[in-house]
Amino acid sequence: MSSSPAVSATPGVGKWKKTLGEGLYTANPITRQILGICSTLAVTNRVDKALVMGAGLIFVTGLSNLFLSLLRKLIPNRIRMIAEMAVVSTFVIVIDQFLRGFYWDISRQLGPYVALIITNCIVMGRAEAFALSNPPLLSLLDGVANATGYALMLAIVGVFRELLGSGSILGITLLSPTWYVKNQLLVLAPGAFFALGLLLCVFNLINPPTAPETKK
Amino acid sequence: MNITPVWAIFIGSIFTNNILFASFLGMCSFLVCSSKIDTALGLGSAVVFVMFCTTMLNYLIYYYLLVPLKLEFLGFMIFIAVIAAFVQFVEMFVERFSPDLYYALGIFLPLITVNCAILGAALFMVIRKYNFVQSTFYGLGAGLGWAMAIALMAGLREKMGYANVPTPLRGTAVIMMVAGVIAMAFMGFAGMLNIQ
Amino acid sequence: MKDNTRIIVFTVVLAVICALLLAGSTIFTAPYRQANEKAEEVRTFLSVLGAPVQGVSDSRELLAMFNREVRVKTLGSLTLYEYLPESGKSDMPAAVAVPFTGMGLWGPIKGVLALQSDLRTIKTINFYQQEETPGLGGEIGADWFRKQFENKQILSADGQAGFRVLKPGGQTGPTEVDGISGATMTSQRVGLMLDNLAKSIAEERNAYVQ
Repeated sequence: MSSSPAVSATPGVGKWKKTLGEGLYTANPITRQILGICSTLAVTNRVDKALVMGAGLIFVTGLSNLFLSLLRKLIPNRIRMIAEMAVVSTFVIVIDQFLRGFYWDISRQLGPYVALIITNCIVMGRAEAFALSNPPLLSLLDGVANATGYALMLAIVGVFRELLGSGSILGITLLSPTWYVKNQLLVLAPGAFFALGLLLCVFNLINPPTAPETKK
Repeated sequence: MNITPVWAIFIGSIFTNNILFASFLGMCSFLVCSSKIDTALGLGSAVVFVMFCTTMLNYLIYYYLLVPLKLEFLGFMIFIAVIAAFVQFVEMFVERFSPDLYYALGIFLPLITVNCAILGAALFMVIRKYNFVQSTFYGLGAGLGWAMAIALMAGLREKMGYANVPTPLRGTAVIMMVAGVIAMAFMGFAGMLNIQ
Repeated sequence: MKDNTRIIVFTVVLAVICALLLAGSTIFTAPYRQANEKAEEVRTFLSVLGAPVQGVSDSRELLAMFNREVRVKTLGSLTLYEYLPESGKSDMPAAVAVPFTGMGLWGPIKGVLALQSDLRTIKTINFYQQEETPGLGGEIGADWFRKQFENKQILSADGQAGFRVLKPGGQTGPTEVDGISGATMTSQRVGLMLDNLAKSIAEERNAYVQ
């Protein structure tokens, strides 16, 4: 499982910038790769949930990418998937324990969605696609960049849904109930779908996909 | 101890608490593969089977192994391991005894392992403190609800092939809008049951 | 064979590393987590009894407050939580809380009702667990709905036990509150729940009130 010749042990600055840019924008996990949708829909009805979920994913993706990249030459091919799952689950459990100990309220709000980071396609996706064939620090950056791109989208949708749906951001009421009628639908399940659809639409307008959409 | 009656859990998990339209689980695998009703139904049936069996298995392992040993925190890891192992086992079994079925469903099986809905069902079972019978019917109902949801969406997607979708909305965006409308419709099922 | 040995060695090493990480994080967070879980239970009772829990986020403080100032008593089939604040000198509880559970529209509804020491006048109510539709049935958690309960009674003037949740818009008597418009079913179920609660409290009340 050796790295391709183009990726040397100390990749040039260009590679770093490319990895960062891809994770954050050009190959953003949510708007371009369409991964991690489940949690996006679930946790964006409040900004604090969205931010904590984003931070959690940065932690898990970054560390699991780093760890797997360090091990990439040692992992026997037959148990590759199992090893990935073990590493990812370990980090997810660690972050879940941490949240339950120190951020109990948010942990309750997020409920099962912290554990569902294990099945979040972004984490496994980056592990397979990047960490196993790239040096550790670059993999760490890739993991963090992708997760940050995800967190940004989560924050945007979260602000949209909470502001228009409850009139507040982070619990602080910004649109006073005296004149603003809360759009409750945005806080509920259908609103999640609509908000995400709108986000994808806006991003398609700003940055149209270059390849034609195939059988989607 | 959850006081909700079993039949309410079953019907609820299909309609009012649909694991896809209310809890958003299982969107990824759906988006990737089902643009036709046939594939959607194939994936759906596979998920029903896996969800039904693994929810029961996970219940037994959680309450008879992890809890007595005070290892509940390993729950997530054990659940996903059980699901992966079960799917692997089913794959081998199907390949051996029914090659036709294997070729039809084969590509779905690896996808099922990372399907958030299956892990999600196990997690909800623990959070809502269902007992064994409740968990069994919950697993079955959630699977059926999911299968129905993706069959609905696949059918609509097929129809949309003939529609003139505006360019920025093409692809996932319009699916999301459609899902939102269906989610609204499913919310209307609330109150359908008369639970005392 | 060498391949298999490699797999086994790798698995064992990976398992050990993961186990260490997991054990470490679990043991480190254990006291905080357990305190949080217990505090979760007692916070609801403390807040409904009127104890000053607003700014308190430290779980251990909450638990200490609960152990100091709340006395748990069984009365027939009911469990009562009596609040005896340190500031008050008398032996009469400032408030008595009674937990209740019932079936809502989407799932179980759990709450706590706080009464005066006469076990008749309501101080406040808290629905701490419910899965009703936010904005409709979910409004049972909203301040406006809960405020209605203040000073309502679970026994009418002529001694009839019961409580009703009415369709909004009319007059409400001392044993009645307005329901939520647009959430008829949730309102009905909550009404039923509270009516049953009122009747069970009334049954045991004579044994309690001296």
